Amino acid sequence: MTCEQAKPRMTDYWSLTLGEAEQKEFSAHLASCEACRSEVSRVGALWQSLDLLPLEEPSGKVRERFYEMLGAYRQGLASAETQPAKRWWTMPAWQMAAAAALLAVGLGAGYVARGNGQPPAEVSQLREEVASMRQLVALSLMQQQSASERLKGVSWSYQVEPSDTEVLNALVTTVNHDPNVNVRLAAVDALRPFTGSPATHLAARNAVVQALPKETAPIVQVALIDFLAELKERNAAPELRRLVSDPDIDSGVRKRAEWALERMQ
Amino acid sequence: MAEVSAGQVARLALLFERHHRALFRYFVSMSNHREQAEDLVQEVFFRMLRYRTSYDPAQSFTAWMYQIARNAGVDQVRKRSAVQVVDIDTYVDRRAELVSASAGPEESASRGQDLALLRRAMDQLPEDKREILVLSRFQGMKHEDIAEVLGCEVGTVKVRVYRAIRALEQIYFALEREKVS
Ligand SMILES: [Zn+2]
Repeated sequence: MTCEQAKPRMTDYWSLTLGEAEQKEFSAHLASCEACRSEVSRVGALWQSLDLLPLEEPSGKVRERFYEMLGAYRQGLASAETQPAKRWWTMPAWQMAAAAALLAVGLGAGYVARGNGQPPAEVSQLREEVASMRQLVALSLMQQQSASERLKGVSWSYQVEPSDTEVLNALVTTVNHDPNVNVRLAAVDALRPFTGSPATHLAARNAVVQALPKETAPIVQVALIDFLAELKERNAAPELRRLVSDPDIDSGVRKRAEWALERMQ
Repeated sequence: MAEVSAGQVARLALLFERHHRALFRYFVSMSNHREQAEDLVQEVFFRMLRYRTSYDPAQSFTAWMYQIARNAGVDQVRKRSAVQVVDIDTYVDRRAELVSASAGPEESASRGQDLALLRRAMDQLPEDKREILVLSRFQGMKHEDIAEVLGCEVGTVKVRVYRAIRALEQIYFALEREKVS
């Protein structure tokens, strides 16, 4: 064995992963080569000391998020499997989206690029598939019984493309109909990215305008008013004026509506 | 993983418990950013679930997992660089923070090696060398699996691991000389 052959075998030597024959040849080389012998002990000490570097531990949040995702995914699978007979026109939009995403799971072989070069076509297909699964997770979480699960669904919606109209529709439904104030509040905030996307900004703006007259919780009313002021949404002016002149309205909400009207001038 | 691709999604939980710490450490070594590393761990398991049908049972699971991990890391860097230019000062501060946060009594000289210095040397190692060292030394991956992840020959992997540890040695001793002078 030459020095050149011996050098790349040193890491195997330190890790005790040399084969029996190789080990013999390697030891024979060391016995006859002073340079390699000193390198093996000097660099070997460094190699071993890497073991002593403190190990980083992930926080508990990682596990929590993983099981949340897994649960939502299984839920999505189950609900699509148990309702095969439902006609598509009676299906809520989110279920259609889930079914479409599942179809993609079944059909798409999926790609995992090897090595360093990835053709752009594969990458874009990969992104599309990831997007459709994010959608599935967000949509199935938003359908859960428990408010905290629905909140998680709302936060997952930040991970879909803001041009995703299925998820936008689910958020709008949540804003208008969710019985829980916190979930509605979170859903109002989650509409923001959609107002910046050319494909969805009109629908998202209209949704905010239409949600305000239906909302009764002051905290959500204020969130909607702030949002409308930020968007300078003039279509909301009549409703804002009604809030200002309604004596039964919460005084904080009334003041906020006045402020928003001024900002829109 | 073969069972996972057969549709038993719950099996993924087992794989998560077995591998998520190692994956987290891989990402921390590569980015020095805990929060980002946690996001990436989540992303890897998400993609595994999504692409489970692409897993070939004849392939090593670890190799498949790190292929996904590398792609997720590359996508993340791309996404970040599209959104923001990394402020070099914050970047350097964060590294200093990480180093000081990990400095404990066990960092005192041991076997003649100064661990705080070793850590700094690791951080200064070029990314490709750091990666191959992390995979072979910390993740305990076989050379065959690393070859599969990186898309090269086993012999090349051995040479590259050797070059990486030698480069680490040079940086380490340079830092040590700096400290003494
Ligand atoms: Zn020699």
